[in-house]
Amino acid sequence: MDYTKKITYHSNYWYNDGLKRAQIRDTSGAIVSLRRSLQYNRENIAARNLLGLVYYGRGEVAEALVEWIISRNFRQRDNIANEYLRNIQNSNKELGAVNQAVKRYNQCLAYCAQGAEDMAVIQLKRAVSMHPTFLKAYQLLALLYLHSGQYAQARQMLKEARKLDTTNEMTLRYMQELKRMQGRRSRQGGRAEEPGKNEIVEYKRGNDTLIQPRPSTVHRSGGGFFNLLIGMLMGAAIVWFLIAPAVQESKAAQMNKEILDYSERIGSLEAQISAQTRMLDSYRATSADTEAAAQNAASTLDSYENLMNVSDQYDSRGYSEDVMADTLLNVNRDALGGSGQALYDELAGNIFPYACRILYNAAMESYNVANYDAAADNLDKVVRMDEGYEDGNALLHLGLSCRKRGDAEAATRHLGRVVELFPETEQANTARAELEAIAMETNAPASPEGEDSGQEGEDSGQEGENPGDPGQGGENGEDGENPGENQGQNGEGESGENLGQGGEG
Amino acid sequence: MLNYEEELKKFKPSLEVEDIEDAVYQEDLSDMSDLLKQVMDRSGASTRS
Repeated sequence: MDYTKKITYHSNYWYNDGLKRAQIRDTSGAIVSLRRSLQYNRENIAARNLLGLVYYGRGEVAEALVEWIISRNFRQRDNIANEYLRNIQNSNKELGAVNQAVKRYNQCLAYCAQGAEDMAVIQLKRAVSMHPTFLKAYQLLALLYLHSGQYAQARQMLKEARKLDTTNEMTLRYMQELKRMQGRRSRQGGRAEEPGKNEIVEYKRGNDTLIQPRPSTVHRSGGGFFNLLIGMLMGAAIVWFLIAPAVQESKAAQMNKEILDYSERIGSLEAQISAQTRMLDSYRATSADTEAAAQNAASTLDSYENLMNVSDQYDSRGYSEDVMADTLLNVNRDALGGSGQALYDELAGNIFPYACRILYNAAMESYNVANYDAAADNLDKVVRMDEGYEDGNALLHLGLSCRKRGDAEAATRHLGRVVELFPETEQANTARAELEAIAMETNAPASPEGEDSGQEGEDSGQEGENPGDPGQGGENGEDGENPGENQGQNGEGESGENLGQGGEG
Repeated sequence: MLNYEEELKKFKPSLEVEDIEDAVYQEDLSDMSDLLKQVMDRSGASTRS
């Protein structure tokens, strides 16, 4: 066999092999096969064109252009390489982007050699975004992620690389290493193939890079219950210090308002009560006045009747002066009119002197026999007719009679009147002594009867002097018409006897 | 276990567009025919010597 034919056959064989590999996206194997085909026959245009296409498929555009240019040099006509080159030339923008991506890739190699992996990652991300079929960029980026422990990103890059070259040895090896690393992490208790809690997860979606935020470490372990407890305490503190005082203040204000309302109501009610009380008092006063007026009218009527009776009795000359005096004493002079008062005065002037004499004599007789009640009654009438009768002796004996019968109050009143009307007289001295005795009896405890009677005897002795006064009075009344003369004579003997008896008692 | 440095060495710079011309000229286009010719020339040269 001709060697040239054998060479051609071998070249074609490897071309076919390369074509099969290229069809299953085994670009690495295709490149090897096609290179071998070209080693047998450099003018295998099909193999060279396919090689260029394979290079183009894995992002190595410049290498593809080299093969196509060489192919066109070997055959200028009926060569699909011409179409490929024309297509590339017509898309200058894409070629420029590819060229930039290649430049970034080459720059990343320099960064990696200098240890600036971070910069390299950034450049490679940009490169793959500009040239999405750049296999070597994906592989380098995956290596960098594996080196920095970003296994999720590495996996993502290796997935893209495997799409471009399914049997690439480097890609497969990196993926195997990734599995091994994730398996070791799962054995250590961490989650396999999942981003760690402190890892930042980044995803590529088109030209955008999505970064998952780092999970918070606040809610770990048992801090939840502690945080809940703190929250409850803070809420309770807020309620205690902020809300409760406001509520209490509002309640206190409401209570104060109610107290004020009640106070106002009480005040108004008290005012009403006061007004009602005043009205009631006025009604009572009016009623009292009405009753007084009624009584006054009745008294006036009675007074006029008594006055008329006395006038008739006086005109008839059939009644004694003491009887008429009793009736006349029942007349209220102030209730009478002018003519009534004039008639009253006339009758009193005619009747009272005689009546006083009669009643005074009777009273002294009663006094002398210790009938103090009768004496007091008669002397009372005398005093009513003439308070100063016998220079106050009637009033004095009235007081004494009241004291004798135990009416200290009346005695005090009458004796005080004696002192008032007749000062600097014997009657006044006697009255003062009696008043002092009454005062001592009132303040001091009960004393024996002998002493009292002895005191009374002394008093009576003093009194004995006084009855002489009426005698003097009688002496003064030399006309004889004066009833006092008879009274004085009668007074001396009888009163002296009485005094002596009183002293002996 | 990957050796980062060793793996990194496997990555070679990629060809840029500006370097295509030089790459075309530097492309080794020798194939089997050339190799056989060289062998035959050497054998012929050795025979004549």
